Parts: sequence; structure tokens; C-alpha cells
Amino acid sequence: MIELRNVSLKYGEKEILKKVSLTVQDNTIKAILGPSGVGKSTILKLMLGLIKPNSGQVIIDGTDITGMKESALYGIRRKMGMVFQGNALFDSLTISQNLGFFLRENMKLPQEEISRRVTEQIQFAGLEGYEDQLPESLSGGMRRRVAIGRALIFKPHMILFDEPTAGLDPVSSKKILSLISSLRHHNNLGAVIVTHIIDDVFNVADSVAVLYQGEIIFDDVTEKLHDANHQFIQSILSDKILEL
Amino acid sequence: MGSENEKPTFTRMKTEESTVIASHRSQFMPSAFIRILGRKLVQQLKDFFLTMQEFFLFSVRAFMAFPKMIRYWRDVLDQATICGTDSIPIVLVSAISIGALLAIEVGNLLEDFGAKTMLGRSTALSVIRELGPLLMGLMLSARFGSRNGAELGAMQISEQIDALRAFGTDPIAKLVMPRLVAALIMFLPLTALSDFAGLQSAAYMAEHYHRIDPGIFWNAVYPRLVAKDFVVGFLKAPVFAIIITLVSCFNGFSARGGTAGVGRSTIKGIVVSSGLVLIANFYVSKIVLENM
Repeated sequence: MIELRNVSLKYGEKEILKKVSLTVQDNTIKAILGPSGVGKSTILKLMLGLIKPNSGQVIIDGTDITGMKESALYGIRRKMGMVFQGNALFDSLTISQNLGFFLRENMKLPQEEISRRVTEQIQFAGLEGYEDQLPESLSGGMRRRVAIGRALIFKPHMILFDEPTAGLDPVSSKKILSLISSLRHHNNLGAVIVTHIIDDVFNVADSVAVLYQGEIIFDDVTEKLHDANHQFIQSILSDKILEL
Repeated sequence: MGSENEKPTFTRMKTEESTVIASHRSQFMPSAFIRILGRKLVQQLKDFFLTMQEFFLFSVRAFMAFPKMIRYWRDVLDQATICGTDSIPIVLVSAISIGALLAIEVGNLLEDFGAKTMLGRSTALSVIRELGPLLMGLMLSARFGSRNGAELGAMQISEQIDALRAFGTDPIAKLVMPRLVAALIMFLPLTALSDFAGLQSAAYMAEHYHRIDPGIFWNAVYPRLVAKDFVVGFLKAPVFAIIITLVSCFNGFSARGGTAGVGRSTIKGIVVSSGLVLIANFYVSKIVLENM
């Protein structure tokens, strides 16, 4: 379970997050919805301990990671997989090497086990035949699937998606969303999805938190989003896609 | 008539307005200007000290990661190839050209005093103590430093460094420490190569341009070189390795703002490390020569 308690964050004079509190239960998919540049991706980085809040607590499976040292955080981070907005694949490594990179780096697994897991993720992502290609030779949707495969290969409890369908064509978006939905059913995974596309929220999320001007203005099950009275939520429901 | 009457009134109003503004400016401008300037200066000083603090912690973490050298030995070897073997041509070109130039110019100067036979001695001292290591440092600052800055900067803006951290890998141990170890190992032989090439080209020019017998040239080089000369020259290699690697990697890690940001951080890395190499060159020479 991931919990943010009264988290505030400032970049210089600019207040990004103002006493944000939210909880992500295991085996559920939570969406964080909001316009671009509002601090959604920052929330994911806070959950991973990549940045530290100015005040408040970030609690992962009952452990407060707010004041933890970088070296102590590595173990916590391995409980979560992260799919970055730009995929963050290592451009000098092949698809197979990208998928197996962190297994080789951080887990003392035999080579056979690494190869087995890489093959499993290649099949899961539908990338058979692309194992030895570099990321630059793949389409945007394929790269996103490699990034998802790299996050899954650890067998994490929770997976964090930063704008999983941003910049993808409708067909690729649909594939990615069905892949995310299947994770919960097949792998028993929880997920946090940061997005500015409302259809994504209705397609995959169990619950949604709406971030507006640094504050959570709605946090409930997805179905109740239609009942929210906030003017901003009403406006985004009519527009479907928030301003880019 | 009316228009004639209006003109002086309008002119007077304008003059009065200008006088009021000018008097306001004279009261307002200096204090406001000083206040803004002071605020900017304080902010810049604050930023400078914050950057220094970050750089210090970054450097400490890079040295603290040395025990992970065995784990990342492949990365160390890769970086040794990049900063060592691949840098040989540029080090040779710069050393040969400066050695040849030095022999011609110093030879001409010594000829005026009838001391051409001292060419070997003066060239050897200049090359081994100063120009060999300095040129190698500047060339590697441009070659190895720019590569580090651009590569790590691109990794930073494409979130690859965040990805390393997110999946439990220490990016400083994985990316910076191997570069630092490789530079510390490879800069020494490169300095020796730079010295050797510089002296050989000087000897060649002494023989073919100044018609000095090679025996006389080398006789003025070897017996007169003392340990201090080598200490000055070779102590610079690790100092330059640390400066170039840490400054360029730190700037790469600090890259922000897309591809333009990568360019800015790369340039900053080269400029700062080259400047520091020049300053360090002076102080290492001064300290060693004064204390040995």
C-alpha cells in the first residue's frame, strides 16, 4: 500500500503540491488526473523517493520513506515498477538487454532465470522477433510495451505509469490500456496511473484522485467522478482531454 | 491664435511632467537599483554555494563508490578504452606539434645567446613539467569531458538516470565511478606518452631545423632531469583526471531543459574543467617546486 500524508512540495518559490494526501491500496488501479504541469509526475517520483517532500510523509507498505537515505531506498523501490513518460529505455542496449538490465544489476539470479524472464516479458509484450533491435527502431507503442515489460520483470507489487498513453495512436493506446487491465487480473498487481486523458481513467481505474492547483479536489471511486460538483471536474468531463 | 496659445501650455506641461519624473527618478532609481542588484547578487551567491555543496556531495559519493569497482569492472574497462586508447591520437597530435614548435622557438632564442646546446634541457623541462601534462589535460577536457557531459546530460533529460534510481541502481556508482577510476588509471600513461611524443618531435626539429646533433640534444635531457621534474608532471595526471571527470559528470547530471540544456551543460563542463585544469597546473607546479 502507498500512502501520502499531507505532502507539500515547493520548487523555489512555486508551490507544486499543497498538503496532498492519498492512498493506493494493493491490487487496485488508482488514477491521478490533472492538467499538464500540475505535479502529477512529481507524485510518482515522491512515491519512489526520487524526490523528497518539504513536509508530510510518504509511506510504502507501512514504512515511512521520507527521511530515508538513498542507499536504504533501493530495496523499497524494487517493490515498485515505474514506466516513465518517455519510457527511459537505455538507447545503447537492445530490447533483451533493456529488459534484463536490472535483473543482472540488482538481483543475483542465474543466467537461465534471467533469460527465462526476459523471454516471458517479450512474449507478454508481443515483441517476438524484436529482441536484438535497439529501442530507436521500434514504434512508440512498442517502446512503451518494452518499458512496461522492464517494470514487470522484477515482479513488483505495484506499478507506476506516467502518462501511459500520451503520444500514442488510438490503436497503440488501446493495446497499452488492455495490457494495464490485464496486469491486475493475471499478475495481481496494483497500479498508479498519472494521466490527463479522462477516457483512460474510465477504462482502467478503480479510483481516481483529481489534482488541481496543487491540491486533491476529488478522491473516490471512478464512478463517482460524474457526481462531483467541482467546476474544474465538470469542465474536464465535458472536454474529455485536459489542456496539454 | 488659439493654437499659438496652446503650444506654450502644452510645452510647459510636458516640461513640468519631465521635471517631476526626473526628480522622482533621481530619488527612486539609485536605491531601487541597488536593492535589485543586491537581491540578485545574494541569490547568485546562494545558488553558487548550493551548487558547490551539491558538487562536494556528488564528489564524495563518487569516491565512496570505489569499493563497487569490482562489480562494475566492465564499465571501468569500457571507460578506460574511451578516455585512454581512443584519446591517443589527439594527445599525440597536440604533443608532437607543441614539442616541434617549442624546439624551433626556443632554439632560435638560445641561438642569440650561443646556447643552442641547451635546447634539450629547456625543452625537456617545459614538456615534462608543464606542457605535456597541461596539453593532455586540455585535450582530454575537450574530448573525454564533453563526451561525459553530453552522454550523461542526454541520459538525464530522457529520465534514464531516474530510471536507474527507480529500479534500485546507484547512478553514481554505475556511471560516474567507472569514469573516475578509468581516468585515474589512464591519465598517467597518457601523460608519459604526451611527454615522450613531445620530446621526440623536439629532438627531430633540433636535428633537422637547428642542426643539433641528437647526442648533444639527448645528453642535455636525461642526465639533468631530476625526480622533482617527474613528480611535478606526473602528479598533475590524477589531479586533472579528478577535475575533468567530476566536473563534466556533475554538469551532465545537472542538465535541464531538453537538448538545449544538454548543450549548455556540456559547454559549462568543458569551460569549467579547462579553467580548473589551468589553475591546478599552476598550483601543482608551485607547491611541488617550492617543497621538493
